[in-house]
Amino acid sequence: MTSAELVALMLADARLPTGGHTQSGGLEPAVRAGLAAEDPAEVAAYARDRLRTVVRVEAGTAVVARHLALAGADPREVEPHWAARTPNPALRAASRMQGRGYLRLAQRIWPAVLEHLPADGPGSPGLPRPLVLGVVGAVTGLSAAQVARLVGYDDAQTVVAASLKLLPVDPAEASGWLVRLHPDIEALTAPALTGLVDPARIPADGAPLVDLHAQQHTTERMRLFHA
Amino acid sequence: MPDHVTPQPDLRRTLRLGVAGPVGTGKSSLIATLCRALAGELELGVVTNDIYTDEDARFLRSEGVLPPDRIVAVETGACPHTAIRDDVTPNLIAVEELESTYAGKGTPLDVVLVESGGDNLTATFSPALVDAQVFVLDVAGGGDVARKGGPGIARADLLVVNKTDLAVHVGVDPDQMVDDAAAVRHGRPVLPLSRHDPHSVTTLVDWVRGALAAHRAGQAPVDPGPMAPHSHAHEHPHAHAHAH
Repeated sequence: MTSAELVALMLADARLPTGGHTQSGGLEPAVRAGLAAEDPAEVAAYARDRLRTVVRVEAGTAVVARHLALAGADPREVEPHWAARTPNPALRAASRMQGRGYLRLAQRIWPAVLEHLPADGPGSPGLPRPLVLGVVGAVTGLSAAQVARLVGYDDAQTVVAASLKLLPVDPAEASGWLVRLHPDIEALTAPALTGLVDPARIPADGAPLVDLHAQQHTTERMRLFHA
Repeated sequence: MPDHVTPQPDLRRTLRLGVAGPVGTGKSSLIATLCRALAGELELGVVTNDIYTDEDARFLRSEGVLPPDRIVAVETGACPHTAIRDDVTPNLIAVEELESTYAGKGTPLDVVLVESGGDNLTATFSPALVDAQVFVLDVAGGGDVARKGGPGIARADLLVVNKTDLAVHVGVDPDQMVDDAAAVRHGRPVLPLSRHDPHSVTTLVDWVRGALAAHRAGQAPVDPGPMAPHSHAHEHPHAHAHAH
């Protein structure tokens, strides 16, 4: 007997092999641009700003993709709406690469995803990460709130965990930041977001500096993280 | 229990060959040597995993041993061990894309070399990523390293003791180091290598040709560990305790 709760725990676990260790949620280029140079706690503010902007787009996309899959429609309908709200090509490419990681795993362990999405293989362009997560949520019984919470938690934890590699941060202190971000993560599970069914209604919040940093990162020589 | 581990594609043409070992032992140099020697007879590709993304890729490109687009760098988020062992996703995607690209161009790859970011003695490749692997030590790292053993030293398909030409300068007896390694490897090959010794380079290149032939004959990857079951390494009493 499995449970949606267990699936959510698996998906939130960085040990799940989806390539998550290559991601910093944009923190590496932000740090290079001067973030947290004097106060490491700025990392938490950065994660919070993401939760209030770009992560709303991600969570909304995942929620609508889940809904469409459950409704028997094509969840890929969300793709152009997500792309229009993700104006930076480097971030779209990074999301597609992560989507490939999730789909490659999901098609092995939750093959029902292939009833909704084409299999990933050599030459695949990659589907946006929130689209794949939404479909995984649909086939494994996650609620819309669980999917939205997962997207928010994963983004915040990606940023916080990357800070340990990039800055002189005490890991326990960083975990404290994550706890204090809980209200912003939980805010993603409000009905205004989890009740979304129409791709056109996906939030369109943006963070132009995140876009700018992501683009700069692609030509940076000394990178630890992919994005 | 996992009931399907690695889907074994029906006899893949390309040999995926991992190169692991501690920092500075000469992994990039070994790959450059192989490319220089084999680029004329085999279609080659390289995936690198440096700590800072593309140092190794830039080195290899600057050596001019392969066209630049055959050398791909993959970020590891400062987790070089994870990237070759417990989450091979980004590396596997990079390998498959290289293979797919060159198959599409009508020049399918014979060998993809995957260079691990320099890591500790316990890092070995997952059989989900590579078909065979080389572990690289060097004499300058200390004469006792081979004796210490570890999964890569004991059970990689080939152990290279590199930079033998430096042994005289660092007070290490390379023959003793090779003997120590042979003792923990129970017959698996050990190769003393110096890029200034053409005979040793020829032996290395011949080993790769042999590994390619064995792969095409259907030989399955052998996982060096961390703790190989059925190990008879008496130097490591824990190997039995943890064997399944």
